[in-house]
Amino acid sequence: MTPKRIAGLRFEVLSPQEIRRMSVAKVITPETYDDDGFPIEAGLMDPRLGVIDPGLRCRTCSGKAGECPGHFGHIELAAPVIHVGYAKLIAKLLNATCRECGRILLKDERRDKYIEEIERKRELGQDYEDVVKEVFRLTKGKKCPHCGAEQIEIKFDKPTFFYEGEHRLTPKDIRERLEKISSEDLPAFGMDPRAVRPEWMVLTVLPVPPVTVRPSIILETGQRSEDDLTHKLVDIIRINQRFMENKEAGAPQLILEDLWELLQYHVTTYLDNEVSGIPPARHRSGRPLKTLAQRLKGKEGRFRGSLSGKRVNFSARTVISPDPNLSINEVGVPQIIAEELTVPLYVTERNIDEAREYILRTEHPKANYVIRLDGRRIRVMDTNREELAEKLEPGMIVERQLMDGDIVLFNRQPSLHRMSIMAHYVRVLPYKTFRLNPAVCPPYNADFDGDEMNMHVPQGLEAQAEARSLMAVQEHILSPRFGGPIIGGIHDHISGLYLLTRGEKLFTREEVVSILKPLKITKLPKPKREGLWTGKQIFSSILPEISIEFKAEICQGCEECKKEECEYDAYVVIKKGELLAGTIDEKAVGAFKGIIIDEITRKYGNEETRKFIDNVTHLAIRAIMHTGFSFGISDEDIPEEAISQIHEVIGGAERRVEELIKAYREGNLEPMPGRSIRETLEMKIMQVLGRARDQAGKIASRFLGMENPAVIMAVSGARGSMLNLTQMAACIGQQSVRGERIKRGYTYTNRTLSHFKPGDLGAKARGFIKSSYKEGLTPVEFFFHAMGGREGLVDTAVRTSQSGYLQRRLINALQDLKVEYDGTVREQTSGLLVQFRYGEDGVDPMKSFRGKAVDVKRIINEVLGERA
Amino acid sequence: MLDRRTLAKAYFTHERLVKHQVDSFNRFLDGGLQRVIDEQGKIELDIPNTYVKLGKIWVEKPIVKEADGSRVPLYPAMARLRNLTYAAPIYLECQVVDEGRELDEEVVEIGMLPVMLKSKACNLNDVDPLAVGEDPLDPGGYFIINGSERALMTLEDLAPNKILLEREERYGEKLEIAKCFSQRAGYRALVVVERNRNNILEVTFPQLPKPIQFVTLMKALGVETDQEIVTMVSSDAEIMKFMLENVEIAEVETKEEAIEYIGRRVAPGQSREYRIQRANQVLDQYFLPHLGVDEDARKAKAFYLARMAEAVFELALGLRMEDDKDHYANKRLKLAGDLMEEIFRVAFLRLIKDVKYQLERAKVRGRPLKMSTAVRSDVLSDRIMHPMATGNWVGGRTGVSQLIDRHNYISVISHLRRVISPLSRSQPHFEARDLHPTQWGRICPSETPEGPNCGLVKNLAQYAEVSVGTDEEEIRNIIFALGVEPIRGG
Repeated sequence: MTPKRIAGLRFEVLSPQEIRRMSVAKVITPETYDDDGFPIEAGLMDPRLGVIDPGLRCRTCSGKAGECPGHFGHIELAAPVIHVGYAKLIAKLLNATCRECGRILLKDERRDKYIEEIERKRELGQDYEDVVKEVFRLTKGKKCPHCGAEQIEIKFDKPTFFYEGEHRLTPKDIRERLEKISSEDLPAFGMDPRAVRPEWMVLTVLPVPPVTVRPSIILETGQRSEDDLTHKLVDIIRINQRFMENKEAGAPQLILEDLWELLQYHVTTYLDNEVSGIPPARHRSGRPLKTLAQRLKGKEGRFRGSLSGKRVNFSARTVISPDPNLSINEVGVPQIIAEELTVPLYVTERNIDEAREYILRTEHPKANYVIRLDGRRIRVMDTNREELAEKLEPGMIVERQLMDGDIVLFNRQPSLHRMSIMAHYVRVLPYKTFRLNPAVCPPYNADFDGDEMNMHVPQGLEAQAEARSLMAVQEHILSPRFGGPIIGGIHDHISGLYLLTRGEKLFTREEVVSILKPLKITKLPKPKREGLWTGKQIFSSILPEISIEFKAEICQGCEECKKEECEYDAYVVIKKGELLAGTIDEKAVGAFKGIIIDEITRKYGNEETRKFIDNVTHLAIRAIMHTGFSFGISDEDIPEEAISQIHEVIGGAERRVEELIKAYREGNLEPMPGRSIRETLEMKIMQVLGRARDQAGKIASRFLGMENPAVIMAVSGARGSMLNLTQMAACIGQQSVRGERIKRGYTYTNRTLSHFKPGDLGAKARGFIKSSYKEGLTPVEFFFHAMGGREGLVDTAVRTSQSGYLQRRLINALQDLKVEYDGTVREQTSGLLVQFRYGEDGVDPMKSFRGKAVDVKRIINEVLGERA
Repeated sequence: MLDRRTLAKAYFTHERLVKHQVDSFNRFLDGGLQRVIDEQGKIELDIPNTYVKLGKIWVEKPIVKEADGSRVPLYPAMARLRNLTYAAPIYLECQVVDEGRELDEEVVEIGMLPVMLKSKACNLNDVDPLAVGEDPLDPGGYFIINGSERALMTLEDLAPNKILLEREERYGEKLEIAKCFSQRAGYRALVVVERNRNNILEVTFPQLPKPIQFVTLMKALGVETDQEIVTMVSSDAEIMKFMLENVEIAEVETKEEAIEYIGRRVAPGQSREYRIQRANQVLDQYFLPHLGVDEDARKAKAFYLARMAEAVFELALGLRMEDDKDHYANKRLKLAGDLMEEIFRVAFLRLIKDVKYQLERAKVRGRPLKMSTAVRSDVLSDRIMHPMATGNWVGGRTGVSQLIDRHNYISVISHLRRVISPLSRSQPHFEARDLHPTQWGRICPSETPEGPNCGLVKNLAQYAEVSVGTDEEEIRNIIFALGVEPIRGG
């Protein structure tokens, strides 16, 4: 069969004729199966509606279970009923048309004007909803311009009742009125008369979905359990039959009305069981039935649960743990997972021997399945191994177990950006966790406190090739967010290199060799001093030939930069792959910052950068192990002298706060522009206390010195900040709730806690903590700290759900946009032009220089540098 | 100095950590049950002069009714192992009055009540726990329903019968609102007094489809003259000015007119007599029911309403501040006993309906009116067991009873001291989630879950004790004895 192209889709309302036309069976009995378990003719499980039992054949298409798609049947309703989904539209239509002649309540000229407008907007692909709304608004409760009949407003009582004044309209009345609406008027309501006739929104025939849509399941007890839809259809048919019998027997109107209402209820709940205003239909156990609307709606519904996202084969999930010995583009796969997942090997004349070997193997990289030419999938077992190997021929597919060197996709939720799914090369390892290099944690936002990740094995050759060339980790070192590296050294990598390269540390030959051991370095440079190498030299041995100069993270921001002569060794100079001056820290190799990584990518490409990052991690870890690095409570110790200085600073600040409060009370406080006096006071107090905390931090760090491990981590950017250190060693500072000092509390006496005097505005009473974590907090301080901490907890809890929803909306809005080869951004389906140049400047942020299109300085340096 | 650890050790016995649960349940056994019966008083039948007088109610010790009909004392260990409910029979004294003729007094078993472990009705009180297979360190304070251990969560609620002031913004207009959750015997009525932009006060309470004017309501309550209304609200000159504006545009003049006006609102399209009867009923039953549900209470209600009005104006004039809804003074805790009272009340009302039906049928068939045959014990028991087994309380609250967390000893105690706020977890409610300074010493500042329940699920602080209200009648007697004049009558 030749493939055909779908030109378009149009949604219409099913007409009764259409329903009958597509029906293969009229369903009249509510019974499903007879005593022998065979489906009853003209019942809900009629064999013409399709097959679900294996072995039987469909009476309509003679297909087997699995082949037959199923066929619709129909129920002739004894009386028309309203379709809930259209009830609101019906109400609007009834009010917009004449109750006598069925014409629209607008003069023809005005109607045509609106029709024209709608037509125009439709052609332009614009929304014409507003015009339709306007039409419905204008047509409310007037005299009919065509026949002059007085109109009575029709009240719509959810979900399916209509009243004209006090008089209740039956679905039959409504259908008759809808029939009268002229096809010429319909376009004014935004309806296409070829697709919809209003009376079709009142059901006279109900389509019965094929059995394949509502399969019954057989319980372990051998009992049949029907689908919820079948249950609901049984109810409908039962009432329908009763209604018909009663009508024929000439039952009183009252009984008929009751049955009619019951039929309406069943049809309503069959379509949507969560309509407000009526109780949901329930299963015998009391569980509400899942009917048509429930199948589609919500997270687990057809759209979000089965079409946008679904469960997949060839995937695995487990806990992740770190392994610094892997390359960043590898992933450690547990052996048991590797034995379960397979990669298809398409057998050709050239690889048939290899394929045969996989089949014959009895250990790890062996074949799990063979797919024969007829498409049958056969499990490779001890009993049939020889036979399968024998019968193997080109064209068959051998599913072989995952092994080293295979490419897989690795993913951590939430998948917020494209780096959340990257391709890694497999390394089959013992134990039960996925292993990854800690340097790839930042793009996944992963840590090892119990995080789990998913792995997918691409099955097609194209998929594998795409994964290798587009999705591999090294292709994503530069982030498309800001044009800098998102993968680089973290934590110990940074403090390790910092310790190694800071100043003029000297190492003996043995030491150098032991540090460089894990790297593939074959030649050592000339020693700086006889027999001794500097740390900078060691680091240089992994640098490719690049030349670059920049200020390191530890840069103090002096007024005048002394460049190479920097007293903090914070000016990094690399010439021709040689680190001449400066310390390597976060700014040089860190994720998000790493200037050296950036430079290498631009000059040598992704593969080289990958190797560099691998080398950096290996080298740094050896280097930090060489000196050893630890941090404990005693590292927060500061001498008595420092403590008294800190107390002095804080005491001074508290006195200053008291002065401010006094000035405020006496009315001597000058308000700042745009602030009330009270706000001014608060701001000033915050300022004073903030400054005091910073000063205390300065004092503490002065006494801790640059050799303190916490200081090393903070200044090099490996982990933590000076603020964390200040809080640990000197003073925690002001606690705040929603950006203000603590102000809620015993409002009736105007104080935060009963420990204070009414109206106390002092530092202590409003949440200033003068203790440090090391010292410990007083009970009052602890409580205020808990208040500040609670705000953070609530924020994270509330934010995550909100940002997830925002992301979903953004993706839904932008999913069809694509940057074409000509640089324009277009909507995929309609070809609608969104931007003439991507981002209005045509810059690919990933290939930009930290967001800028061209880095002039770098080009100049490169050109001049080469000449020099 | 005294070793404080000795003190702490003496204080933190396992009994005291769940004391609030056990005490609350004991209070329910001692007074709550009887209160529900007394509220009802008697069961009126649709036969003239025929009713059932209800007397004392009490609960015995937990038993198990074996298949052979024997009744054996039940111990918790056995209840857990055999998937039984640790429940005791409830007995009620009652006397049928058949067309004026008093029949013999009867004591009937009306159903089974789940019993809290270590409460007054518990079998563990007078035995060695080890002898009946019970952990001597188990704190008790929970129930055993069909073999599973279930604790009733303490619910945190806004204080009822208290005027709370709020500001609200509606269509860019700042409004002052006084709210009061008036509560009487399980019925909660929200009364709202609000000032609209023309300084006109409007009142909303249940059964009223739309707010009505404050002055109208005052007149309906029997405060007829304008002067009375104004002075009842306040003697402050500014507030009186506002009140004059209110009085001026009044829709009605007299009490009769006011009641008719209300009648038109609550029962539109009905006959005049019915309207007036309905209006009177609404005024007594649905407006500030905590002050009384008879005509005598109207004067008191008028005074209370005037206080609400005064508060609204004071807030508008800046003489008062908004009430802090998260202030713990404005919170009340609903403990196990209060929750049991709620379901018992509903279950008992259901039982009464059933008894009434059974007795009426017996009367029609000419059988003797006997309570012991009219009471079907499952009617009450089922209505109590079902909420306790599922956690679906009356009023649609879910998760009230929870399977206790037996991960470890500490988690059990923590679970029994949990306090749950009924605020929805899907909305941010930043302020309600904050740690409020008034929680000091009452609620643990550190223990709250992370995630959507953060700050809404709390735990009692270690030293926290839950105090209970005092009987209003007692206080009333004291203050009247001290010379306070009661507001009663019209």
